[in-house]
Amino acid sequence: MPAAKVLAFLVALLFPLHALAGANRDRGQDEVGPGPDEGPSYFGMVRDAAGKPIDDARVTATSRDGLAMVTRSDATGAYKLPGFNKRHNPDEVKISCAKPGYRQYRVFRHPSPRGGPVRAVETECRLQKS
Amino acid sequence: MATGCSVAAAQTITLRYAQAASAHKSIYSLPIALAEREGLFRREGLDFRVVIPIPGGADLMIAALHDDTADLAHVATPFLVRAALAGSDAVAIAAEFNDPIYSLVARPEIARMADLKGKVVGMADPDGSIAYSMRKLLALHGMSEKDLRLRTIGGTPARLGCLKRGECAAVPLGQPQDLLAQSEGYRLLGASNDAVPAYLYTVTAARRSWAAANQDAVVRYVRALAASFATIRDPAKRGAVVNTIVEMTGVEPAVAERVLELYAGKNVLPRRGEIDLQGLAQVIAFMGETGQLKDPLPAPQRFVDLRYLQDAGIRPK
Repeated sequence: MPAAKVLAFLVALLFPLHALAGANRDRGQDEVGPGPDEGPSYFGMVRDAAGKPIDDARVTATSRDGLAMVTRSDATGAYKLPGFNKRHNPDEVKISCAKPGYRQYRVFRHPSPRGGPVRAVETECRLQKS
Repeated sequence: MATGCSVAAAQTITLRYAQAASAHKSIYSLPIALAEREGLFRREGLDFRVVIPIPGGADLMIAALHDDTADLAHVATPFLVRAALAGSDAVAIAAEFNDPIYSLVARPEIARMADLKGKVVGMADPDGSIAYSMRKLLALHGMSEKDLRLRTIGGTPARLGCLKRGECAAVPLGQPQDLLAQSEGYRLLGASNDAVPAYLYTVTAARRSWAAANQDAVVRYVRALAASFATIRDPAKRGAVVNTIVEMTGVEPAVAERVLELYAGKNVLPRRGEIDLQGLAQVIAFMGETGQLKDPLPAPQRFVDLRYLQDAGIRPK
């Protein structure tokens, strides 16, 4: 399928389903909300070499055992992912980013505040034109 | 078909499998979680990776196949049917859950179905599989939704909360919450599969084009999934299955045992991942009944590709 046709299909597919999602996100398949065993969330920005935000980049958080969560950066370059189960060590969760026409060249994890449990992990991902 | 030795010698293939976050923590991920835990994907030479799209309810799993987030996806059949009719080339390549059990659980003072008349019942989305099966269950008892005051509540945990707060007289619950509620004195009025004996709830889907170009990987996946279903039925592996349910859902082992007892002898899980076309026809009929599809209803064969099951030596049901 040509790229334009694929894009048109995705827009047609996603738009009405997003509208439904507001009513019941997991319609047709039962939902289980985040539990008390959830570890820290992951958030940050995707930027280019000049520091300009990059939207619609795919951001992946991968745990040591290979489980991955994937999201897209928003119009401001920001992303947010929920936590893995607490049994996953957040220090072993890798953040990566990708976008067609770019390659990842730097991932910088901001140090977490000292003292108290880590509730969120901030990581900046940099892409440059390939 | 490749033998175990030749598979071991072959190059490892990476497979990305999209699953909704909610499904990942639920009983519906049992076949996949068990296959991972028991090394069944590794045995087939697969580097199997679960990918959870965020945001990503069940409604976005097919999209994950199209935007290259994943190669395979765990999807509830109504979403697959809808996406295929909208132009997607995604098809079911194996079954994961056939006929799920949703228990209609009531407060202790409700002794029978007729006692629900005029009372608030927390119900799932009216166009979804759960509400559909509950309508059928009510009809089995000579009742309809008009006899009840319905409140739409998404998700078993939220519905259980409504029941416990006393705001709902009854709610449909999945496993293990239905068993937990009954152990606390709530009453079981009926189960969805009393009324809907044939259904195809969730499947593994792939794009036809991708699967055709990656036939070897898909067949290996189907073989691993089939081995997982065989493991679930193997009495010698009971401990591993129970532990998997405990890790997934956080329940006590005794409750996990009861879940397996509940599934025993019922059409909840496929035997080896075979696709029940009659069950898929039931899904399509339900989508027609609820106005999601117009006549003439499509044939279930349109939404499946059985070649990978056949190549894995699995006969159709």
